[in-house]
Amino acid sequence: MSWTAVAKKDFQDALRSRAIWAISVVFILLSVVIAYVYGSFSADELGIEEKTAERLVFFLASNITLFVSITALVIAYKSIAGERESGSLKILLSLPHTRRDVLVGKVLGRGAVLAIPVVVALAIGAAVGSALIGAVAAQALLALLVVSVLFTFAYVSVIVGLSAMTESTTRASMLTIGFLVLFRFLWGVVSIGTVWASNGFSIPDTLPDWIFVVNQIPPSGAYTTLLYALVPGQTGNAADIDAFYGTPWLGAVVLLFWLVVPAAIGYRRFSKADL
Amino acid sequence: MAAIELDNLQKQYSGGVTALRGVDLEVREGEIFGFLGPNGAGKSTTINILLDFVRPSGGSARVLGLDAQEDSQQVRRRTGVLPEGYTVYNRLTGRQHVEFVVESKGADDYAQEILERVGIEDAADRKAGDYSKGMKQRLTLGMALVGDPDLLILDEPSTGLDPSGVQDVRRIVNEEANRGTTVFFSSHILSQVEAVCDRVGILREGELVAVDTVEGLRDAAGTEARLRVSVGEYGPEDIGAVRVLDGVSEVTQLDGELIVSVADGTKTKVITTLEDRGVSVTDFETEEVSLEELFLSYTGGSK
Repeated sequence: MSWTAVAKKDFQDALRSRAIWAISVVFILLSVVIAYVYGSFSADELGIEEKTAERLVFFLASNITLFVSITALVIAYKSIAGERESGSLKILLSLPHTRRDVLVGKVLGRGAVLAIPVVVALAIGAAVGSALIGAVAAQALLALLVVSVLFTFAYVSVIVGLSAMTESTTRASMLTIGFLVLFRFLWGVVSIGTVWASNGFSIPDTLPDWIFVVNQIPPSGAYTTLLYALVPGQTGNAADIDAFYGTPWLGAVVLLFWLVVPAAIGYRRFSKADL
Repeated sequence: MAAIELDNLQKQYSGGVTALRGVDLEVREGEIFGFLGPNGAGKSTTINILLDFVRPSGGSARVLGLDAQEDSQQVRRRTGVLPEGYTVYNRLTGRQHVEFVVESKGADDYAQEILERVGIEDAADRKAGDYSKGMKQRLTLGMALVGDPDLLILDEPSTGLDPSGVQDVRRIVNEEANRGTTVFFSSHILSQVEAVCDRVGILREGELVAVDTVEGLRDAAGTEARLRVSVGEYGPEDIGAVRVLDGVSEVTQLDGELIVSVADGTKTKVITTLEDRGVSVTDFETEEVSLEELFLSYTGGSK
C-alpha cells in the first residue's frame, strides 16, 4: 500500500519539528496538573457530587478537545495546500502515489503525530490521578484513550480535507480557522439561535429535545457524548431524551462523519485539480 | 513501441490561457530527446500532462505504451522525474529523501550509491533544507534515478547548476541512455541539449515547430547564409528585384549595405542582378547562420 510510505515520510518530517515537541510537553504537563488537582482536592472543592475513578476520565478529557483542535489545525492546515504551493507535491506525485494515497497518508501520518502525545499525556495523567485517589477505572480509562484517538484522527482528517480544497495556504488557513471558530467557539450561539428562530424568535421555557442533536454536531460535542456511552455508570444528557436519537452512540456516528466526509469532499476537488 | 506518444495534445487552463494547441510527437524508445523552447512555450505543461499533474483539454498522451491519465500510477512506477519548480522537504535529510523514493517505488537501490552518483554523498545526513540550489538539484536528479526507470523526464535539469554540475547531468544522461533508458529533457537553452540529444523538438507558443536530429537542424541552418553587400546608390525597385529571386528569403537595408538571407548557390545571382541594374557593388561577404540563430528564428527570439 502506497499511502504507508507517504504516512511514514510525513511522520518523520513532523518529528523533526520543534513545535510538535514543545506542544506535546505542554500538553503532558497540563494533563499531570489536572490529574494532581483531581487527586488532591475534595469533591466539594472540585464542584462534583462524588469523587470516583470514573469521574477522573472526564476531568482528563476536559482539555483534550481544545488541545487537539488547535494543534491539528497548526500541524495540518498546510498538509496539502502547502505542498501544492511550494511544489514539493511535484516530488511526491512524480512517484507512484495516487492523489488518494497522498490524502490518506497525510491523515494517518499527521494523525499519528498528534495521537501519540495525546495517548502519552492521558496515560501519564491517568496513572498520576489513579495513584492519588487509590482506585483504577480501567474500562473508563481505556474508553478515554480510544475515543480520544478517534477524535484526533477525525479532527486531523477534517483539517487535511479542507487543506486539499485549495492551492493557497492563505485560503487553507482561513477555511480551517473558520471551521474551528464555528464549531468550537460559536456553536453555542448557533445552537441557541436555532431554537430561538424555530420558536418564532423567542426562547422557549424548556428546550426542545432535538437541540441534543444540534449540540452533537461539533466534533467536540460528539466526543464528550461518546465518552458517556463508554464509561460505566455515566449517562450524560442523552438519558433525559425520549427519542430514537437520544443515545450517546450518536457521538460515534458524528465522529465517523467527520472522519470520512470532509476528507472525501476534499479528495474530490483535489483529484480533479490541475497542479 | 514509442516511449512517448502525443496525439493532437491540447491544453487550455481554466483561466483561459491556451498552453498547447495540438501537439503531435513521438519519442522513440531508447533515444535522448531534447524538448526545446522559450519559457512559456508549453514545455512544462506537456511534461505535467505526461505525469498527470495536469489534465489535457483535448487529444491524448501515451507514455511507455500506457495512457498518461488512466494508467498514471503505472507510468510513474517506471519513470524517473526531475520536475520543474519543486521544493525538497526541508526537514528531511538527503538520505531520507532517497529512501522515501526507494520505498515508494519498491526499488532495491542503496541511498548511498545514488548519492555518490550525483556527487552529494558527503551531505547525505544533512537536512536538505540547508542544501544549496545546486545540491538540491543533484538530490532530485538522484531521486529520479532510483529503481532504474525505463523513462527519465528531466524538466530544465541545468537550473541552478554550475558548469561541473551541468557536465555531471550530461554524464548521467549518457549513462542512463546506454543502459536503454529513454531520456526526455526540456531546456530553453539549445547548447545544453545540442551535445547529448539524438533528436530535438522545438516548441513555440504551444505548437511544435520543428522535430529533427541535431545534424538535420545543422544542415537546415547551413543551407542558408547571410550575404552582406556594400553598395552604391540604389532604389526600392532594386531591392524588389533581389527579393523576388529564387532562394532569397529576406533583404534588409543597413546604411550602405544590403543584408540578404540567401540559400547556397544563389549568392552570385544576387550580385549579378544588382550589377545588371546598374547598382555598384564595392564589396561583399557571406556569413553562415549558426544553429543558435536558427533556434532563435524558430522560437521567435532575436539576437
